[in-house]
Amino acid sequence: METLKGHPLYSFFWPDSVAVIGASSKPGKVGYAIMSNLVLGAEGQLGGGFRGRVYPVNPSGEDIFRQRSYRKVTEIPGSVDLAVVAIPAAGIEAVLDECAEKGIHSVVLISSGFSESGPKGRERERLVVEKARSRGMRILGPNCIGIINTNNRLNTTFAKKAPPRGPISFVSQSGAICTSVIEYSSEEYMGFANFVSIGNKSDLEDSDIIEYYANDPATKCISIYMEAAKDGRRFYETLKKKVVPRKPVVILKAGRTAAGAKAASSHTGALAGSDTAYSAAIHESGAIRAHTMLELFDFSRALAYQPPVMGDGIAIISNAGGPAVIAADVAYDLGLPLSILSAETIEAIDSVCPPTWSRGNPVDVIGDSDLDRYQRVLEILVGAPEVHGIITIVGPQAVMPLEDVAHAIVDVQRTTQKPFTASFVGVVSQPSEDYLDQHGIPEMEVPERPVRAMKALYHRGLYLRRRKFS
Amino acid sequence: MNAREIIDAALAEGRRVLDVNESREVFTALGVPMNKSALAADRDEARKAASGIGYPVVMKIVSPDIVHKTEVGGVKVGLTDEPEVGRAHDAMMASVKAKRPDARVKGVVIEEMVKGTELIIGSSCDAQFGRMLMFGMGGVFVEIYKDVSFRLVPISAFDAHEMIEEIRGKAIFEGARGFPKADKDGLAKILVDISSGIGRYPDIEELDINPLMVTEKGLVAVDARVILGTLGKTCPS
Repeated sequence: METLKGHPLYSFFWPDSVAVIGASSKPGKVGYAIMSNLVLGAEGQLGGGFRGRVYPVNPSGEDIFRQRSYRKVTEIPGSVDLAVVAIPAAGIEAVLDECAEKGIHSVVLISSGFSESGPKGRERERLVVEKARSRGMRILGPNCIGIINTNNRLNTTFAKKAPPRGPISFVSQSGAICTSVIEYSSEEYMGFANFVSIGNKSDLEDSDIIEYYANDPATKCISIYMEAAKDGRRFYETLKKKVVPRKPVVILKAGRTAAGAKAASSHTGALAGSDTAYSAAIHESGAIRAHTMLELFDFSRALAYQPPVMGDGIAIISNAGGPAVIAADVAYDLGLPLSILSAETIEAIDSVCPPTWSRGNPVDVIGDSDLDRYQRVLEILVGAPEVHGIITIVGPQAVMPLEDVAHAIVDVQRTTQKPFTASFVGVVSQPSEDYLDQHGIPEMEVPERPVRAMKALYHRGLYLRRRKFS
Repeated sequence: MNAREIIDAALAEGRRVLDVNESREVFTALGVPMNKSALAADRDEARKAASGIGYPVVMKIVSPDIVHKTEVGGVKVGLTDEPEVGRAHDAMMASVKAKRPDARVKGVVIEEMVKGTELIIGSSCDAQFGRMLMFGMGGVFVEIYKDVSFRLVPISAFDAHEMIEEIRGKAIFEGARGFPKADKDGLAKILVDISSGIGRYPDIEELDINPLMVTEKGLVAVDARVILGTLGKTCPS
């Protein structure tokens, strides 16, 4: 697999060997869970544990996961690329010295008790960063759950599950959001290349991670959960100049309602709340803002698995009137333009549909549609020059088996560069739904969600089209 | 005095807010079209200035100590001849003296009265992201409807047009129901000029052009305010 060898953050994602400082043989300890994830692999992690070497470090020197542990990192015989540190905060400075002595340049600090815990912790964090800088080390964290790279099964977290492999790379300020996303993703066939829980951002911050992702061949879409940027302007410049031109980026920025506390002496100052600058920065960079976790998932899935919408006009096809009308309303609200079907397209659909079909967009092929009719209309829409993306909506009925519809949608989508999103309305965890998800067509159980996901693809397409002309 | 000298003089006096005439110089330097105006130190000068500009005119108090002029009776609009200007001057001086006896009064400014649709352009500094530019529907309802859009500076002409198109009430300045139609390219140029020029004045922390009038004859700024501060210096832009 192609990697970013030579990149300053390479050892964080592709170490040959990892030392776990604070490794434990006692179930229930963080140092146990990390070892378990590295040696055995987390639940749902195909292929087992980490592909490289794992060295447990523990003052007891006891065996941990059937491996000899070392009292100090300096006692490890081979070279170590990455240290994962899960010991109480007070001991970390000394450990950093040992890591430096061992020639380790990349350190994941899982431990808490730093700037998140008050002035004393803040001072401790400052000293740790100072030490790391003076010894040429980079730090991820502290107060984080670390890194997952699904392509070499590196997993420094103590999360129970691992996410499925795939094209999304995620960075989160919150460890809890990380673990929630992992749980959700395994249900929805949403696959990840990399996962970074960035914690207190004492050294490495969002900008560093997304700059790596932008160049990472395994990453097709970058997802971010953030509460505050450490350096807002740097984040903006990195996004705008180095990241969004290469990869689509979805950002869930939480903490929108916190009012700007400063007393403003102008109208402009009064109107510029704390979120205004984030909104402007995200918009101007060309990234896409998600406002809910569901949007973060839906947009990321769509952008990772589907091509962008490269024109103005989306078709909605449905065998169910109501859900299609809802979809059309949502498209209107979002400013997602629906295609005006040409006379040729309408004529072509006339030839395969009964005269009662909607003769417009949304294309309602009527509830008695069999598989053949649905598929042929889908093919006509894919071939229509006024259609640049298709939202497929299927209402459960007794005429056509949903699994067959799912297969037909996947078959037709393979013939085109136009993106698809789908809703099998009300259907939960059916094989048909799974089949679509597994084949990269984001499927959701309510019709508004595939419309929003299509809007994200439209947004990306607009961005790319504008760049072509400027 | 040019804009730079005006800012330096205000800072030397320890003032954060530029008065309308000082602000006028700054906006002219930034390429913003301002309405016709003249300073008048007393009643006689006010009458002469008004006749020079042409009626109707607006009279406003000039004081470094008064930010909200309307609240002290410091604004008179729709003055149509010389005697009216004289009477308005008397009333204004009395009212300001009663409400703000401590305020230093330099005189009044007589301005061409412009009617049209009120827009707002502003800039403020965000501690994290630096300087921002705002555009929207102006006038007295700006903080109620909040129909404005923001961008980080610097902006491109494309960004400026996008800001204009984002305004929910844009039909009004697009000429709906007989309202005067705004020259959107001219509007975008003002936004871009402010964005690219404001970096020359790092002492500016916030500014408001409210209103920027859309008239049948074009765009003209009627009132504008500059607030100085240290935040502008730390603004990466």
